[in-house]
Amino acid sequence: MLLLELSKHAGYLPVTLPAPSQVWSALLANPRGIGLALGETTMNAIRGYAVAIVVALGAAFIAAFVAALRPTIYNLGVGLSSIPLIAATPLLALWLGNGPLTRSLIAGLASYFPLLVGAMQGFRAYETNHMELFHVYSASRWRVFRFLILPSSLPYLFTGFKLAAPLAVLGSLTAELTGAENGIGVLMLNALFNFDIKMVWLTVLVACAMSGAGYAIWALIERLTIYWEAPSNSSG
Amino acid sequence: MPKDLTVKDASKWFDSRGQQVIALDRASLSLPAGGFGAIIGPSGCGKSTLLRMVADIIAPSAGSILVGNEKPSTARLEHAIGFVFQSATLLPWRTVRENIALPLAIVGRKSKRVARRTPDELIELVSLQGFEDALPAQLSGGMQQRVSIARALVLAPDILLLDEPFGALDEITRQRMNLELLRIWAESSTTALLVTHSIDEAVFMADSVFVMSPRPGRISQVVDVPLPRPRTLQMMSSKIFFDTVNRVREGLYGIDAQGTADLAAGAPAVVQ
Repeated sequence: MLLLELSKHAGYLPVTLPAPSQVWSALLANPRGIGLALGETTMNAIRGYAVAIVVALGAAFIAAFVAALRPTIYNLGVGLSSIPLIAATPLLALWLGNGPLTRSLIAGLASYFPLLVGAMQGFRAYETNHMELFHVYSASRWRVFRFLILPSSLPYLFTGFKLAAPLAVLGSLTAELTGAENGIGVLMLNALFNFDIKMVWLTVLVACAMSGAGYAIWALIERLTIYWEAPSNSSG
Repeated sequence: MPKDLTVKDASKWFDSRGQQVIALDRASLSLPAGGFGAIIGPSGCGKSTLLRMVADIIAPSAGSILVGNEKPSTARLEHAIGFVFQSATLLPWRTVRENIALPLAIVGRKSKRVARRTPDELIELVSLQGFEDALPAQLSGGMQQRVSIARALVLAPDILLLDEPFGALDEITRQRMNLELLRIWAESSTTALLVTHSIDEAVFMADSVFVMSPRPGRISQVVDVPLPRPRTLQMMSSKIFFDTVNRVREGLYGIDAQGTADLAAGAPAVVQ
């Protein structure tokens, strides 16, 4: 940072690379505007992410209980994920209006796939001999899920949560590029058109921070949740 | 209440690439209620298959198995079966006490099974006081297997099935665990059936040793152990013990008492 700052003042850096202090001043110039944009983008990302979690985990739950539906659910998930986001946005905007609903849905669409894959793999990640143990005790399917399948799946679920959070931010930003009133993506686009380099950098850094924070929050929750380690297997 | 076990002509075959592989060929055995039986044989002789059929983990292709007067599936639904796996099979996120209590949680309060033991009582029985709140990863292999035995006993099973439970432990720990298992069995009033590949272990533990031979897996001989109970380590140097071990060995290798082996004729590979 200091090196960047000094290089800039010495005139070594191109016009497209501002000094950290210049980016900082762009934030100080309009903290309220940036804050509102950040709130808008974050809320859309979180709403979409929440919907994605419910849908993906629900689908994986059904797949875990009804084996016959597993390929259908998986193929549907793959098919849906192959739609380019940038193409889905105008369509959704046409159908649902160019509002927060559309942008939240895009965020959800962008983030559900790792959640679905993580949950579907996770719900099958139990050990065979554990399942036999539950069989010997004639456990109900619900108790098998609660006591075995769900805890066994947690490492996979958290991987999905962690990977999906930055994708929800990405989806939320992408959706703003096709025309929104407010949001970090809007600021970014405007700054680009106005060749406001400090602002471009500021919005890029804010976007990175949002993605990083999404990942970090889940990494923290994971560390607090998974307190055990797999026991050294006593059978050779 | 302990139940007797009757296996009559139980067979198991698999289809492997269009070929029928016989894992177990008309095995029959009977074990009185409260008795201790041991199944011994080399790897691949179907001894685990037989045990898993008694537990209703797999179904026999032919033949009948009765636990008391019931089919294994009925006994399983009544939670009359306790099973100890080769590996401890503990849930890593549950503490020792929670692992032992797992069958209680699975069965729920609605179960008709009244004969139960408290996890704390069993922790004492398997000498794990002070480790109630430890996680499996913090325990040694022997301690993990004790937890798994306690778990198998928490619903006071009528029959306890043990699939090479101490196979992965060192000789010294194993000997101690065997003594403990005998004590636990004596206190628990349950029928026990142990699968093992150690001749000494089979003779030391059981009233009857069922000797199996491979390809196709079948019970080739039943050797009764005339040692009194309770068993002590001193008995392992008695003449009765040696004689019984030799009879089991003869059954396993097809070796006569003089020790002239018939290995050239394609006898089963040496185990232990």
